[in-house]
Amino acid sequence: MASEASPYRLLGTRIPYIEGPLKVSGRAEYTDDLTRPNLLVGRLLRSPWPHARLRSIDVSAARKMPGVAAVLTGEKYPTTFGVLPITHDETALAVGKTRYIGDILAAVAASDELSAERALAAIQVDAEVLPEYSDPHVGLGAVAEPIHSRGLNGSNIQKEVHQHFGDVDAAFAEAAHTVRVRGTFAGVTHAFTEPLVTMAEATPDGRLTVWSATQVPHYLHRALSEVLGIPLHRIRVLKPEVGGGFGGKSDPLPHEIVCAALALETGRPVKMLLDREDVFLTNHGRHPTQNDLRVAADAEGHLLAYDLSAVIDGGAWSSFGTVTTYYNGVLAMGPYRVPNFRYHGRRVYTTKPPSGAMRAHGGTNVRYTIETALDELAEKLGMSPFELRMKNALPPNSTTITQFRITSTSFLACLKAARERSGFDEKFRKLPYGRGIGLGCGFYISGSNSPIHFTPKMPQCTVHLKADMDGGIAVHCMQADIGQGSNTLLAAIVAEVLGVQLERVHVVPVDSDVSPVDIGSYSSRVTFMMGNAARQASERLLALLLAAAHELTGYPAKQLRVREERYEVAHRPEVGVSYLEALHKAMEHSGALQASGAYTSPPMGGTHKGARAGTAPAYSFAAYVAEASVDAETGFFAVEKVWAAFDCGRPLNRLAVEGQIEGSIHMGLGQFMGESMNYRGSRLLNPSLLEYKIPTPQQMPEVEVLLVGADDPEGPFGAKEAGEGPLVAILPAVGNALYDAVGVRFYDLPVTPDKVWKGIERRRAEGTPWKGT
Amino acid sequence: MHLDPFELHEPATVEEALELAGTLSGKFDYLAGGTDLLPNYKMHINLRPHLISLERVSELRGVSSNRIGAMTRLAEVEESPDLSRAYPGVAEAVREVATPLVRASGTVGGNLLLETRCFFFNQTYPWRQSLGFCLKADGDRCHVVPQKERCYATFSGDLAPALAALEAEVEVAGPSGRRRMPVEHLYNAAGDGILRLSLVPGEIVVAIHFPESARRARSAYTKLRVRPSFDFPELGVAAAVWGAAEAPEKVRLAIGGLETYPRRFDEDTDALAGAPLTDARVRTVAEAVTRRVRPVHNTFLPPDYRRRMTEVFVRRTLSRVRAPNGSVAA
Repeated sequence: MASEASPYRLLGTRIPYIEGPLKVSGRAEYTDDLTRPNLLVGRLLRSPWPHARLRSIDVSAARKMPGVAAVLTGEKYPTTFGVLPITHDETALAVGKTRYIGDILAAVAASDELSAERALAAIQVDAEVLPEYSDPHVGLGAVAEPIHSRGLNGSNIQKEVHQHFGDVDAAFAEAAHTVRVRGTFAGVTHAFTEPLVTMAEATPDGRLTVWSATQVPHYLHRALSEVLGIPLHRIRVLKPEVGGGFGGKSDPLPHEIVCAALALETGRPVKMLLDREDVFLTNHGRHPTQNDLRVAADAEGHLLAYDLSAVIDGGAWSSFGTVTTYYNGVLAMGPYRVPNFRYHGRRVYTTKPPSGAMRAHGGTNVRYTIETALDELAEKLGMSPFELRMKNALPPNSTTITQFRITSTSFLACLKAARERSGFDEKFRKLPYGRGIGLGCGFYISGSNSPIHFTPKMPQCTVHLKADMDGGIAVHCMQADIGQGSNTLLAAIVAEVLGVQLERVHVVPVDSDVSPVDIGSYSSRVTFMMGNAARQASERLLALLLAAAHELTGYPAKQLRVREERYEVAHRPEVGVSYLEALHKAMEHSGALQASGAYTSPPMGGTHKGARAGTAPAYSFAAYVAEASVDAETGFFAVEKVWAAFDCGRPLNRLAVEGQIEGSIHMGLGQFMGESMNYRGSRLLNPSLLEYKIPTPQQMPEVEVLLVGADDPEGPFGAKEAGEGPLVAILPAVGNALYDAVGVRFYDLPVTPDKVWKGIERRRAEGTPWKGT
Repeated sequence: MHLDPFELHEPATVEEALELAGTLSGKFDYLAGGTDLLPNYKMHINLRPHLISLERVSELRGVSSNRIGAMTRLAEVEESPDLSRAYPGVAEAVREVATPLVRASGTVGGNLLLETRCFFFNQTYPWRQSLGFCLKADGDRCHVVPQKERCYATFSGDLAPALAALEAEVEVAGPSGRRRMPVEHLYNAAGDGILRLSLVPGEIVVAIHFPESARRARSAYTKLRVRPSFDFPELGVAAAVWGAAEAPEKVRLAIGGLETYPRRFDEDTDALAGAPLTDARVRTVAEAVTRRVRPVHNTFLPPDYRRRMTEVFVRRTLSRVRAPNGSVAA
């Protein structure tokens, strides 16, 4: 267990974000803060139809309007793109067809906002309206007008997964207890604070420069090159500060490409700042999902099998959907040993805003389904929910039936901490009616082992360091800090290894001209992969410094140890040189010191179809206990307190880890208690932050963070992820707490007060009292 | 989203404002705090080329224990200890409006005259265009209750029920002079979500006046909404009770957030005068009121739930004010 007493000077302490002073004083520069001379404003015309064949788009009147510099329609850039190389099905602007209300039909660049919007209004679109498919179940079979030509057998199915490990039917035949549940989940969206925004400029030297609010500068770089037909080396992508992403800025997005295209078209810089409604329509949020799960267990409570099938609403495009379809199945593995597993997953195109990756992608809805089903199972067994989980916990250095390699796990320590700190045993089923306590557990990947990469053998992350005569150390890496603190961690690792003060380290903002490739902020990969690459680069730079220290002191490098700003002889500490003395000595040979480090995850996983999905160099584990109170007359409930025990290995920046856990709890509570993309047919009813119900600070429970992870053998300094895994456990913890409070199971998210009230009324009508009420 | 250009007028007196209103008849909106009007303008809802700002009209300002000027910011009411002590129900209602930022701009008059709201109305121009415009803006049909005559948009102000329960009056100034009327008469009970007010064109709300008797009432306001901040009411119940719990002189109940206008339920509460406000009697009134209300599905929570919660909220709100110490023997 990592204690507060860290063996490291910086890592493991509470390190405020290095860009914090800029952000809190309003001086940090986000994309919308940037400008260029002669800047044009870009605006988008979106489809008013859920599904239509485009007959013609007449832009002649719009082109002639005052202030208009360019009007663009789809046929000029018909090359398809998409975040996964195997499912390129998007175009920058609609070509031939429009597939949801919000699809981009045309774009305008004009001198100002008003001229741009007036030009949009002057565009005439003639279209033949096609059948809309808002319900994914309708699209499971053949349909009159498939949304994409790639749908299986004339259906709207984008991806179908069949997996079977062991013998599920035999396991159910011998099971002493079974539980069957259906979890239904409305779509939720990221609702990051900074709206989507891009600025682009094409210059006479034949280069294109793009600034964008993105989580993955590298994928944007690639998509721009593919769609615009410009070689990668003539495109420069910059990532200014980003105000949150949560997965919603990880796909290359159409407006980014359109903005660049308008810059090419006009020869002038163009900025495109999307409205909140645009952001809702761009979506790529968590998939609306229906999970049907059966669980089998023996008489002692050993899990025998999961049998899971899912229908997943993909919206108009593929996006990350193939990964989602696999994840919604395979992330059912862990934190328990499940010897037999069958999964049938189908992701279906619908004429709605595209779904994609959102924090704890693919793992959230299935985790809720499992953890609430296990709560039912424990009740059937007459067993404590903790005992059931302890009995089935995956041990360290084990392998799941899906061939996931589990190295470190402190899941049992998580259970112990959450149980003891919350006083669970004294409260469970013993609190008065209307008050309840529940357990939910979590499991998530710490970096995908299977990178989305166009040259698969390249490292997943590369870090370059340069130390020059001023003593400063410049760090280059394309990892994308989107508010999660990766810049600070990168600087801290470099400072830790070299023994220098944190302020000497300057993380150079992402610029594809100079930043070596990292594949971005998704799949909870940055701490693990960038951390290892940064450590390697720093150790290589340190070797140069120690060689110089050897020259100066005469003692061999291996007898030297790193102190703050000083390298000294281990057994004669009075002999040593300062960091600057060593640096300047080393520079006599080579000028500025440079070193690079890289990370590639080791080979792992099985050989079956889809075997790579869900493989990761490490996994995080969680056990959360939530205590909640319910107003039985109205159905309103409050989450009073959460004990969040989490295994992220060694937390490298405790401040950041605690922030991630608290933020994850807020986000997970949002999906549980009120957030939902509400539709009438294919039409999004609530594309605003007023009607999309993100919980307010008043609704946040007190959170007690319990970091109990042991060092991971491969993680940098023992660390694993803490960005997404902390989200999944809160939803079932609260769901199970509500059951303990009022005796009603909630399997249809979000659990708004009217549903709670209805559930309580139903139970009363059935005449089955709970806790005597 | 952008604001289309408009011409801003800034009269200094009520009379100047009325004169401008006469000149610009049909082509203007009055601008108070702007927290509701300007977002609607950004969504290109019922735009007018002229805005007459009431910001500089000093007569419309000021809070005292028996008067609130219409241009008083909600935050000023919130910060007035006299008012909060005298009319707890009003103080509760004000504190529940939107957010501190909105209350810093939003005004008392603006909250009373708040535009009615609906899922199919409070949307951007392209959104409404893609569905087909509705009765309330640019169109000829209703998407909530499909027909072509009546608008079902919901009245979503918090102050009106709280003031109506206390029998407060509103003073208005218009082209034909000044008049005073009970707050609930500001709304057009024979109208709908569009013809929602009884004001004649150009009339300005000048102030709220509290009758002497309002100071003797115990009052409360209870708001149903998904989140404890930001959200408009899905139901807002105000109650006021005069006299002892054993034999109250008068009980008043007013409800907003459910239908196209806020209303009072005197026909039900008059029966409560003179006899102890027991749980059973409170419940009887709550059930009677619940039978009368007809919410429709144009807010976040389902209408059946909002209707059923009316019973709970009426009961709870009345129970809070039935006795000086908040409790009474059943």
